[in-house]
Amino acid sequence: MTPLLEVTDLRITFRRDSGPPIVAVDGVSFTVSAGEVVALVGESGCGKTLTGLALPGLLPPGAELDATTHIRFNGTDLAGLSEDALRGYRGRRIAMIFQDPLTSLNPVMRVGTQIAEAIRAHQQVSRGEARQRAIALLGEVGIADPEERVDSYPHQLSGGMRQRVMIAIALAGEPELLVADEPTTALDVTVQAQILELLDRLRVSRRMAVLLITHDLGIVAGRADRVIVMYAGRIAETATTVALFATPAHPYTRGLFASIPRIEGSSGRLPSIPGTVPRPDQWPIGCRFHPRCPVVIANCREVQPPLEAVATSHLAACWWRRRRPGEHATGPGRRARQALPRRRIPQRQCARRARRRGCLLRHRSR
Amino acid sequence: MRAVEDVSFAIAAGETLALVGESGSGKSTVGRAVLRLEEPTAGRVRFEGTDLATLTPRALREARRRMQIVFQDPFASLNPRRTIGASVAEGLEIHGIVPREEIGDRVSHLLEEVGLDASFASRYPHEFSGGQRQRIGIARALAVAPTFIVCDEPVSALDVSVQAQVLNLLLDLRTQRGLAYLFIAHDLALVHQIADRVAVMYLGTIVEIGPARAVIGAPSHPYTRALVSAVPEPDPTKAKTRIVLEGDPPSPSALPIGCPFVTRCFHPAKDARCSTERPHLRPVGDQQVACHCAAPGDGAAST
Amino acid sequence: MTTQTKFGLGLLALLTLLAVVGPLVAADPNAQRDLLNGTLQPPSLAHLLGTDEFSRDVFSRLASGARISLGVAVVAVAVAAFLGMVIGLAAGASDGGLSGLLRRCIDIGLAVPRIVVLLVLLSAIGTVPMWLFALVLGATGWPAMARLIRGETLRLRHAQFVAAARALGAPEVRILWREILPGALPPVLVAATLGVADAMLLEAGLSFLGLGAPPPAASWGGMLLESRSVMAVAPWLVLAPGLALVAATSAATLLGDALRRRLQPDAK
Repeated sequence: MTPLLEVTDLRITFRRDSGPPIVAVDGVSFTVSAGEVVALVGESGCGKTLTGLALPGLLPPGAELDATTHIRFNGTDLAGLSEDALRGYRGRRIAMIFQDPLTSLNPVMRVGTQIAEAIRAHQQVSRGEARQRAIALLGEVGIADPEERVDSYPHQLSGGMRQRVMIAIALAGEPELLVADEPTTALDVTVQAQILELLDRLRVSRRMAVLLITHDLGIVAGRADRVIVMYAGRIAETATTVALFATPAHPYTRGLFASIPRIEGSSGRLPSIPGTVPRPDQWPIGCRFHPRCPVVIANCREVQPPLEAVATSHLAACWWRRRRPGEHATGPGRRARQALPRRRIPQRQCARRARRRGCLLRHRSR
Repeated sequence: MRAVEDVSFAIAAGETLALVGESGSGKSTVGRAVLRLEEPTAGRVRFEGTDLATLTPRALREARRRMQIVFQDPFASLNPRRTIGASVAEGLEIHGIVPREEIGDRVSHLLEEVGLDASFASRYPHEFSGGQRQRIGIARALAVAPTFIVCDEPVSALDVSVQAQVLNLLLDLRTQRGLAYLFIAHDLALVHQIADRVAVMYLGTIVEIGPARAVIGAPSHPYTRALVSAVPEPDPTKAKTRIVLEGDPPSPSALPIGCPFVTRCFHPAKDARCSTERPHLRPVGDQQVACHCAAPGDGAAST
Repeated sequence: MTTQTKFGLGLLALLTLLAVVGPLVAADPNAQRDLLNGTLQPPSLAHLLGTDEFSRDVFSRLASGARISLGVAVVAVAVAAFLGMVIGLAAGASDGGLSGLLRRCIDIGLAVPRIVVLLVLLSAIGTVPMWLFALVLGATGWPAMARLIRGETLRLRHAQFVAAARALGAPEVRILWREILPGALPPVLVAATLGVADAMLLEAGLSFLGLGAPPPAASWGGMLLESRSVMAVAPWLVLAPGLALVAATSAATLLGDALRRRLQPDAK
């Protein structure tokens, strides 16, 4: 089956007045199939938002795609298309939603009008018809009383409802791919669960593919089919969600996992990744993660590791996996290594969890 | 319109109380009222035995040496036109804590204590990342050597990996300096890492309060149970059944007469009393719960 | 630095040179050389910009006029900025009655046309010395400044870093001085630079109406007034002060815009 979206060698550079251009995304390749949810995970400054923006050709001024980049969408290479041709894809076939629904909505326009406008931008329908469809869309994204809410202004809605409106607008063009950039980061936990549930429902009912961009590995579990972990403009690791959570291969992925606070783990200090993501003009030589890595060998400081298969459809870019027998971590690694203990859930807790799950079934059958 | 109503709690020296709730629950208002950054219409804040409301402006300024605040938004809480050093030195200068010529040394020391380079003192806030700014905000609060710090969502604007760093810093400082925290947050998993006790707020009132182990491990109030179940489970093999609450909280200006949670409540024993009579905190299990229906063991059944 | 900024800086340098060095090297601006044959001479090597109807050297008058026109404008703006800052800060930082009263004052100040107030005031005083003229000009210019600063103060007062300073126990005066004022200054600086152009045109206008610098003092507006009647036969008499005014106001506007881009990158 050919994938819906096939990105090969995505490279995004920023031109500068002085000095060489800055490479912000450096050779990223991935695919998204119809009806699939792929999560793009990494800390701020990893290039994940730029990657999302590049798909519908919405890069900020100054940023350019490299000539070797191909973004094939249903067979058409979007990277070579003109601005006019791209406009036919935006909203209609590839839609986007962002973190902050308040700044993405027009504050002086009723939400129904905004949805209806999106519908009329893509389809030849009358105003009345567009309004009816807007109401239907509001109902589809789970807004109660859509007939009333259609005449609300954005400020009259809660954060969760605004994000639902944004999703309704995105659905107006009946897109095949939805790029969701941190869609729940600004929302409360209970509302976050609602929105993720909604996205999940839509991908099933509409067979819409979703590229879920987030810094939080915690919300990815059970939502995404596959995960791409990005670090400093490159893919560090990619695998099916189940495989990635069961056997994370890259030390960065393991660090991200370890830093998630867990309600069932022990309390107190969390393992964390020391330091921060370097700026694109300060990426180190060799593996870009090596200064923060707990397990560094000589190769890591000199050569960039290639993305290699560690199992079926599980790739990682890490030298540590290919260390010679008997080779030990050198340099700053050792100390950090102790700071990243493998997470082990005590036997007692496992039992408690199982008990709870049993109780839960009873509760639900009531 | 009342944002917060009838909220009472106490924090012992060296203790961490977490105040949990969603936006609009009034948790930040409580945090600011505690420091008298916002004046409560009624109620009393006693700090180290003194009623803050009775203090003269001068005495209040003195009291503020002992109680500090760390804000949520690390981009808004630092003055963009002052250097890091000037911001951290502010408290030292106001209270004359160290002689003028020693201020530079003390600022360096404070920056190092929060894991930053002493040379950052001459730089401006825009040069720093969110996590670094949050450390600067913590150094500024520590300058006056407080015994109590209100942490108003100190990590919720940060990346997960940076959250862990800042949370660890707060934990280390608590150990080293014996600090007490009022830790305001909406993420129960985070609260679980740091809190001794937890108070859950909904629409301006505390609906459940008790030891962290009890409130998070065996929540009793239906709202707490929903909150606990909404915490994302970072493990795809364990499909967790969530209680997904219907709709949004009602507006604080149109509160239900009875239990504030009645419009979204899913408790099977919910009855007419819930919509007519406001429940007050009563002991259920190890914690205090404001719910007519909650019974010990309810929580275990929900997660 | 943009081309406009460089152009503005170049103009400013030229005008400063004219005002500072010009009067030192040029002849006495009031010397009447030859009332019989020397009047209304077109520009020549002897008189770079020609002479006026009293045979005075136009370049000399332009140079000494630069001191008066630029000086008056700068002093007027400084006075307006200072008054505006004090009143605006007080209006923004105080609560209740005082705040309302000051706001009312600012609104009234903005509602009454400045030129009318100036006309009435200046005709009432009669012949005014230059320093008083500058003061009066400044004293009528504060409401716009005050409104700007009041707005900035109100905005910054609710900033989180101000709450942080308050939580540290900072007294209100210290908060105003250390936290709010530095943030409120940049827009004031921009407005003041742009205000110089305004003040210069006002000065010229008032001098043109005969309410400015008393003759024989040479201000650019006064020179325009004197040359009006002979404009047809001696156009250089209008062109010299006219172009100087255009150059000075352009410099102020260009530099004001440059400052704004530099200090308030987010403002449109």
